[in-house]
Amino acid sequence: MTLSISLGPVPHRRSHASRTTPPLRPGRGGSAGAARARSAARQRAGRRTSAHVPAVSRAAASPSHGITWETRSFAAAAAAIASGFLLAALYLSQITGLSARDYEVQRLEAQRDELRRQHALLDVQLARLDAPARIELQAQRLGLVRVTTVPVMQAAELLARK
Amino acid sequence: MPVSQTRVRVLFVLFLVASSLLAVRLTQWQAIDRGRLASLATAQVRSDELIPAQRGIIRDRNGAILATTVELRSLYAIPSRVKDKAATAAALGVLLGRDPKPILDRLSSGAEWTFIHRRLPEAAAKAIAALGIEGLGFETEPKRVYPNDQVAAHLLGFVNDDGVGVYGVEGAYDDVLRGTPGRLVVERDPSARALPVGLRHAVPARDGAELTLTIDLVIQHAAERELAAAIAKEKAAAGTIVVLDPKDGAILALASYPTFDPSAVAVSDPEALRDRAIAWAFEPGSTLKSITVAAALDAGLVTPATTYNDVGYAVIGGRRLNNALGKVWGPTTVTQVLERSANAGAVFVASKLGAERLHAALATFGLGRKTGVDLAGEIGGRVRPLAEWYPVDVGTAAFGQGLTTTPLQLASAYAALANGGILYRPHAVASRRDADGEHRTEPVAIRRAVAPETAAAMRAMLTSTVDNGLAQNARLAAFSVAGKTGTAQIPDAAGSYESDQYISSFAGFAPADDPRFVAVVVLERPESRILGTLTATSAFKGLALDVLRTARVQPDRAGARP
Repeated sequence: MTLSISLGPVPHRRSHASRTTPPLRPGRGGSAGAARARSAARQRAGRRTSAHVPAVSRAAASPSHGITWETRSFAAAAAAIASGFLLAALYLSQITGLSARDYEVQRLEAQRDELRRQHALLDVQLARLDAPARIELQAQRLGLVRVTTVPVMQAAELLARK
Repeated sequence: MPVSQTRVRVLFVLFLVASSLLAVRLTQWQAIDRGRLASLATAQVRSDELIPAQRGIIRDRNGAILATTVELRSLYAIPSRVKDKAATAAALGVLLGRDPKPILDRLSSGAEWTFIHRRLPEAAAKAIAALGIEGLGFETEPKRVYPNDQVAAHLLGFVNDDGVGVYGVEGAYDDVLRGTPGRLVVERDPSARALPVGLRHAVPARDGAELTLTIDLVIQHAAERELAAAIAKEKAAAGTIVVLDPKDGAILALASYPTFDPSAVAVSDPEALRDRAIAWAFEPGSTLKSITVAAALDAGLVTPATTYNDVGYAVIGGRRLNNALGKVWGPTTVTQVLERSANAGAVFVASKLGAERLHAALATFGLGRKTGVDLAGEIGGRVRPLAEWYPVDVGTAAFGQGLTTTPLQLASAYAALANGGILYRPHAVASRRDADGEHRTEPVAIRRAVAPETAAAMRAMLTSTVDNGLAQNARLAAFSVAGKTGTAQIPDAAGSYESDQYISSFAGFAPADDPRFVAVVVLERPESRILGTLTATSAFKGLALDVLRTARVQPDRAGARP
């Protein structure tokens, strides 16, 4: 089915109206009379149209609204296209944002992993520095010597002194 | 101007043919080859990766790291992108401390991609990265690191090139430490970044459990220091020190010599890999007299004061068994049997026990069979079945010959004497922590070896052995020490004993009344038979000083605290 959109009046209706209007006779009554005759013909044509055209068509063609169904179809199609465009733009915007954020997350994850790696290396370094063997060696280098004995006083001795 | 109908038709036909060809091609792509092309397209962006699980950390009882896995950077090259290969090789040679020639050879090999140096020290990796040489890159690889180098090497074991734990804790708990790898199926862009809205299916890796050992790094270091000093002093071939907590069988330290660096196993002597504390059996010699006497005391056959007349030897099964150095002690109590380490006295006690009860006592103390310690590579030693015993075996077994034990078995048996008579299964792992939380190792009491009264009597007798007997070198000024020396011959392949080759040992604990640790020191083939035993007791003494200081044990004797 083909949809044709036209901004002008519907051709067959215009021809129908012209067929129901009697031809003007320019020789009788001058220009004022001609104008009155055209007005009367329009009113007759209007009354005759009102009597024979269905209500829906009448509303569509109603000059009081001034919007034809073609216009409405066009507007609806245009609105649908615009909406689709907007939705697509919104979707693309979201996807782009999501992608950017995901790449950022990946970057942060890589940064986190690197920091964890560095942390593990520092833990190892700390363990090496805390090793009793290293501390004992450093103590020896500094000239410290191991205490062989520490004088101990028994509780009984302390009490006796008091 | 009128349009030529012929031209229109020709044009129409051309369009028709072109459209038809296009339609056919599209049909081929979209319908016929769809599956193949789709899989090719998917393969270009899809990557199916294994997410490695992090191997668990091993810590000592105070939380110090003993083994951990770190990601180290490995340097690779895409040789075609390296512009000045000679200059690059020279620069890398300086930073890596290597000859640049092999590096240049690799860069000039024509390979599309090649490793230059794997698992770099972090400082070197940073220095190379700072050069910004095009065509060089890094990728991380896991490496098992042991921050204390050779300390506790035998107890820890190592991880081989395939990532499998071998020996020690690494071997025994490999399945626990290893974890479960995960899987990641993801679509990637040309920069290897995961496509944000692409396929992503991930099964996370389950990292290995973290183990906390029962060993104390300070005590372990002290044990290794004393062992190394004793080995050096006596020019001994090998040696070991085992330290146990008698209250639950926890291993406080386990040192073995020769040793190795678990980070560089490939260049180690294979013999050095053997943990002599659990994978080496020896004839314990006189240290076993304590077990013989304990069994006789427990059976009510002797008391510490039971006396016999020592004539310097004993005859059993038609064989004469002499005292060491031909000593003749005369009237000797059972306590003095231990103080003087009289072989004839041990035979006297064993004769009262009889073969059956002596054999049962050895089994009760867990000698000659695996302890069940949670370390890989343990052996059982050997105590021949009773049916294979000759009459003389009662005598020789009484002073520790004709049977073999591991140092850990001997330490475990002495721990039973120290703790009141309960034989515990030695263990090295105090707890493991995984995703489900912490799981502590409960001590396993295997059986009661002797009655508490017997154990108390043995503690007193062994204290007397240190205070008044041959083990006086192990005395501490402010603490009571209980223990027994041992000097054993080494059997040869012919079934006899090697001449002038001995194993010197000392097994003891302190403080004697409330023991905080049990230690067994063994020196294999020391230069001197007598001095070897003295050196073993000295090693025990040096170790005891550190253990008692570390544990902040209050002195139980007046005098100077170590």
